[in-house]
Amino acid sequence: MSLHDLLIAPFSYEFMRRGLLSAMLLGVSGGLLGCVLVLRRLALMGDALSHSLLPGVAAAWLLFGTSTVALFFGGLIAGLLTALGSALLSRLTRIKEDAAFGSLFIVFFGAGVALTSKLPTRLNLADFLFGNVLGVSAGDLGLAVAVSGLTAAVFIVFYRSILLETFDPVFHRATGGRGGLVHMGFLTLTVLNLVAAMQTMGIVLALGLFLLPAVSAYLWCDRFISMLLLSIGLALLGSVTGILLSFHAGLASGAAIVLCLGLVFVISALFSPRYGAVGSLWRGGAR
Amino acid sequence: MDPSDQTIVRFSGATVRYGRLTALRDITLEIPCGSSTAILGRNGAGKSTLLRAVLGWQPLTSGEIRIGDAHPQHARPRLAYVPQRHAIDWDFPITVRGVVEQGRYPSLGLFQRMGRADRDQVEGALEELGVSDIAHRQIRMLSGGQQQRAFLARALAQGGDIFLLDEPFAGLDLFAAEELTHILRNWEAQGRTVLAAVHDPAVARRCFTRGVLLDTGLVAAGPIAGVLSPANVDRAYRQEHCVHDGRPRPPAAGDAQG
Repeated sequence: MSLHDLLIAPFSYEFMRRGLLSAMLLGVSGGLLGCVLVLRRLALMGDALSHSLLPGVAAAWLLFGTSTVALFFGGLIAGLLTALGSALLSRLTRIKEDAAFGSLFIVFFGAGVALTSKLPTRLNLADFLFGNVLGVSAGDLGLAVAVSGLTAAVFIVFYRSILLETFDPVFHRATGGRGGLVHMGFLTLTVLNLVAAMQTMGIVLALGLFLLPAVSAYLWCDRFISMLLLSIGLALLGSVTGILLSFHAGLASGAAIVLCLGLVFVISALFSPRYGAVGSLWRGGAR
Repeated sequence: MDPSDQTIVRFSGATVRYGRLTALRDITLEIPCGSSTAILGRNGAGKSTLLRAVLGWQPLTSGEIRIGDAHPQHARPRLAYVPQRHAIDWDFPITVRGVVEQGRYPSLGLFQRMGRADRDQVEGALEELGVSDIAHRQIRMLSGGQQQRAFLARALAQGGDIFLLDEPFAGLDLFAAEELTHILRNWEAQGRTVLAAVHDPAVARRCFTRGVLLDTGLVAAGPIAGVLSPANVDRAYRQEHCVHDGRPRPPAAGDAQG
């Protein structure tokens, strides 16, 4: 197989170009959001949030068919209900936020699986869960452009607020920052991006595009801005190699992208000179 | 001189209630300009609530706090804040300089970049706290004393004249605590006003000239030696008070909480 067959030929197909573009766009915004998720220790919450989108998407599918707009709002509503519901539960009952989130998302996910079993064909569930690059429509691509552009714009304009709220929320508040607003805005952006990434990555795997580049970058960087930029770079690299892998090996696109990013993560976790496992053992054990 | 020139923070009947719980009860008190004051009391006595009220982030149920002539929310540029050590994630990808630059963020507009004056202020703060040489280091790679100095430098870079410190001595080793004592004494000598929540009376005696002793209500305020008289300490630290109405409650069996 020539280099051309390996790298260029796959993109002679329209759906491959769309899939690649969509994955790269969401890699940019996912790479940014992932950094905040990692640093604020919200990684597992993000995972729960992504699962909770399923019933909204399935209900929208049942009611309105394949309309991108309907799927988007279905997922958005389900995600926001989970986020707001668990925030309310943790305020009004003795349940802590992690347990509230855990309980709500599993109920939502169960409802989603139940709904998808009612869908016309069985095949759709796998696409919902693990992504299918073949299914990226022009509408999906438009959504990816809008969501990715919005996320990047928010990070550029509110960079300092995001940094302060992530690093030292008490100081942010003490200097007149609107911590609650930043947090809610951040959750909303996360849901938007998860929904937009659903077609390429699938609900279960979408978070991989956010988390893995960020956590890998975290292992290399000593500055917030360089972590953000490296995270974007790794997400782009993972999207391109993952889409190619999915094409040549016939894998689900979400799985292929996550595998590529997973490799980067394992290499970083082992071999990052300062913060990797090998270096830490070499210097004499755990930090 | 007009007495208002000498008082920098004035509390008049300041009260904070969370539901039925009174966190701060009817505090009337004046903090003199250029003094270093320890806010003392046991856990739950209202130290943090008092600091947050001065910052204008904890609304008062009744009463008033004035900073100079202004409401706390309008005096924000005058206030600099140092949070507790344990609130900080020391693995965060940020350098000492990055932390100190944050001191300038509140005074920058949304689309405004750091200007020459901002950078000078950051350099000055790094210099004054002696952390210029380690400005490029990630914050985990510092000693406890250096970490504390980096956050004091951020407060300095804010450009205020009133410094609010939440438990600055908590979690510091002996050497770092000595260092901090030295810095705070210097600040007082330079006429900076420092207001710090302090848990340990012995520490307060060593490095603050004035004290405010709280037991949700005000037990005593003034020069530190008088505030920490045995009778006051006994009243504030040992005697059990019912937080709902502030009246002393006879000790009950199984009431071990201090």
